Amino acid sequence: MKKMFMHSPLEQFEMKMLLMMNDMLALSMTNYVVYLGMVSFMMYNMMTLLNKTNLEWNRWGLAMLAMYDTMLNMVKSQMGNKGGYYFPLMFTLFTFMLMANLVSMMPYSFAMSAQLVPVVSLSLSLWLGVTMLGLAKHKLVYFSLFVPNGTPLPLVPVLVLMETLSNSSRAMSLGLRLSANVLSGHLLMLMLGSLMFNLMNSSMFGMFFGMMPMLGVVAMVMLEFAMSMMQAYVFCMLFSGYMKDSMYLH
Amino acid sequence: MQLTLAAKYMGASMATLGLGGAAMGMAMVFVALMNGTSRNPSLRATLFPQAMLGFALAEACGLFCLMMSFLLLYAV
Repeated sequence: MKKMFMHSPLEQFEMKMLLMMNDMLALSMTNYVVYLGMVSFMMYNMMTLLNKTNLEWNRWGLAMLAMYDTMLNMVKSQMGNKGGYYFPLMFTLFTFMLMANLVSMMPYSFAMSAQLVPVVSLSLSLWLGVTMLGLAKHKLVYFSLFVPNGTPLPLVPVLVLMETLSNSSRAMSLGLRLSANVLSGHLLMLMLGSLMFNLMNSSMFGMFFGMMPMLGVVAMVMLEFAMSMMQAYVFCMLFSGYMKDSMYLH
Repeated sequence: MQLTLAAKYMGASMATLGLGGAAMGMAMVFVALMNGTSRNPSLRATLFPQAMLGFALAEACGLFCLMMSFLLLYAV
């Protein structure tokens, strides 16, 4: 048996061209697009299932209702009753992140949300939408968001600068948090896994004493499952917080 | 060439130092959770999701360091 990875562990995140018209930019299909289609198909099926769910259906229906209820509670607690208007967006985002993260946890699959460019562009466009929402709702009063309540006058220029910086860095940090988490989690799992593989493959001694660290690897995988669910929740929670900021200004 | 390689490895190892800060942050989150729960055990149900959120945020900051060191090791 050879080593488990050929050149570097970053190989698992490479986009491979599966179908190509004439160059990479024309109607090309990468493995990213395949996974995107898979997740959208699953989301569509989940929507049709969710439409006929009631409390006495089965356990899977109850799980879907619990997800729905969790998101509804989160949106309502962050944005009040008016936030229910933005609930479909939030629920779609949550389901998309959850399914993308969980699909990428399957062995030998492609980690969709570890791709920095699509995830960061998603969060950038979400932030842009939130900013446009605030400007449309409050006109120029929206910029009062950059001056916290009760600041003394000499501090205002500095604070405006800092608030502007922190507000505009939200666009990057929202997506970077998700994809950096998935990227480093998958790298860690691959490296630990191949380390264990090489150790237990080396000798009978290694096989025997590899059993204990094996439990550590299993614990890492369980942590990754938990993180993949938690990151989807955190993404939606932070995004609804940002939306609350631009809806109500403080 | 050897010097560049050495600098790469040193940079990667230095990038992991930031994980200490994330560890302290996570510890503080759970210390605060324990403190709050021991003072008022009935609040546990409301405190726990917030602690989980704080844990996820602190861990994400730590993973930025880990990502930097992985990128230095394998992508530079």
